[in-house]
Amino acid sequence: MIQAQSLTKHYGSKTAVDSVDFTVQPGKVTGFLGPNGAGKSTTMRMIVGLDRPSAGSVIVNGKPYHEHKAPLREVGVLLDAKAVHTGRSAYNHLRAMAATHNIPTSRVHEVINLTGLESVARKRVGGFSLGMGQRLGIAAALLGDPATLILDEPVNGLDPEGVQWVRKLTKQLAAEGRTVLLSSHLMSEMALTADHIIVLGRGRVIADASVSDIIASAAQNTVRVRTPHTAALAALLAQADVTITNVEQDVLEISGLTVNEIGDRAAAAQISLHELSAVSASLEDAYMKLTQNEVEYRTGDTSSRTETEAAR
Amino acid sequence: MSTVTPTQPSTSRASFVPTGSGLSFTGLLRSETIKLWSLRSTYWTYSLVIVAALGFGVLMSFALSATAGLDPATGAPMPMESAQIFVIASTSGLALGQLIVAVLGVLSISGEYSSGMIKSTLTAVPNRLPALWAKVIVLFVFTFLIGLVSVVGAFLAAVPRLGVENITASLFDVDVLLPLLGNVLFLALIAVFAVGIGTIVRSSAGGIATVLGILLLLPTVVALFSMLVEWVNDIVPFLFTVAGSEMVYPNTMESWQAFLVVIAWVAVSLGTAALLLKRRDA
Repeated sequence: MIQAQSLTKHYGSKTAVDSVDFTVQPGKVTGFLGPNGAGKSTTMRMIVGLDRPSAGSVIVNGKPYHEHKAPLREVGVLLDAKAVHTGRSAYNHLRAMAATHNIPTSRVHEVINLTGLESVARKRVGGFSLGMGQRLGIAAALLGDPATLILDEPVNGLDPEGVQWVRKLTKQLAAEGRTVLLSSHLMSEMALTADHIIVLGRGRVIADASVSDIIASAAQNTVRVRTPHTAALAALLAQADVTITNVEQDVLEISGLTVNEIGDRAAAAQISLHELSAVSASLEDAYMKLTQNEVEYRTGDTSSRTETEAAR
Repeated sequence: MSTVTPTQPSTSRASFVPTGSGLSFTGLLRSETIKLWSLRSTYWTYSLVIVAALGFGVLMSFALSATAGLDPATGAPMPMESAQIFVIASTSGLALGQLIVAVLGVLSISGEYSSGMIKSTLTAVPNRLPALWAKVIVLFVFTFLIGLVSVVGAFLAAVPRLGVENITASLFDVDVLLPLLGNVLFLALIAVFAVGIGTIVRSSAGGIATVLGILLLLPTVVALFSMLVEWVNDIVPFLFTVAGSEMVYPNTMESWQAFLVVIAWVAVSLGTAALLLKRRDA
């Protein structure tokens, strides 16, 4: 369990985290979302005491992190940047980390096997690919068999098989009653992995709810219709609370009416439909809607979603 | 890879309770020992210290055997203490060793900052200072041992040539052993002093420049100023390197006073380092 109270961090005149309150519950995977510079990494660093809060406090498993007798058994953390000496082998890095808490070497071998690092464990970390570095970071986070896991961008640089493995692993760890907090920019991945979402924007919490609630709150229910008679259908359905957009030559997107209503009225007017489907909102849509005013580093053309996404 | 089988979220969602061993200082000492000896640079630097000591030991044995017995003024034979000859031969290579361990000391901590390792170190030891003390102790102990091997090796390397000139001394003669141990102690303290500077500066280039500046440049600068300003001369014995040598060859002050000066330098370096390490964001 992670509890933040009025947690604040200033860097000079810039406020990275602005009086944030949230609780990360054990037993579920909590996703930490937000645009670049929203304060996710800073918040994670404050949880494990790498950065000192300017105001407010954050406690993990009932105490400030530094008061725990066995910090690595309370919290396992993977931070965004590599936190390993490049001249040391993965095995020796883990051995040095394990030694601080008298964790046996058998556990070092366990996490090496768990993360699939057997073949490169004796090689120097300097030559690791991004994905291998991530696996080593996850191995280090798991070393103390901790009650709380904090993973910043864990799937960054992983192959599809690794992404799936992280998804299964985090879900399993949460199912064991552990607290799991992870950040990711891959919205689709987050939708599959997380049970609960905390969205940060410009250092503030702008949403804190279950994944389904977040999607529901931001979703506009639209219906997609394909018909050769777009003009006739548009004229038929036109009324005050209905918006109709002609997205393609023979495709309309309609909001304000249900699939049934549109289908029945078209049938009554004998307008043939080639496609009629409800467009369900995704977590990505919900996220974009929530953060559209909170993006600090915006790309030039904000109307193009793919471009904004590519810039992340 | 897929050794983890996914399990359905179980019905019981009781919080996971961590078990097992915790943080301990002996664990930190082991961790820092593993860190020190799992980097190639450690083997290189310590090997260089030993090689320099042995090399200079042999060279000096030739140089000293040619001149030692002669009064430099008259060229007449002069009884010079053989113990002193052996000490000079055994320790002359350490001058180079001092610079090498200074670099090693800086790198032992600045390398953690430049690579990001410091974040791993400080999340494992969130109170921070125990990690610094463990690093200092480990580096002190191993540098002392390497220094001991160096001077004893250099002593033995000097024996054959000096023996030809009938210059002999016992390693366990107090006049030999104490100066050797003093030099080795100063060597280990330089490494520790450098850890402090590396922690303060947090960069390899800056740390090495600062430490070498204090060891090499500062005495020269002070000497230059002392020609212009009379009282600057009084500072000279309080320079780190000068005090280090006065520990062994007392000149303007007693050995123990020189030792206290050296300890003061180390204490200021480590004290500042500890204060900043505790206060700053990692």
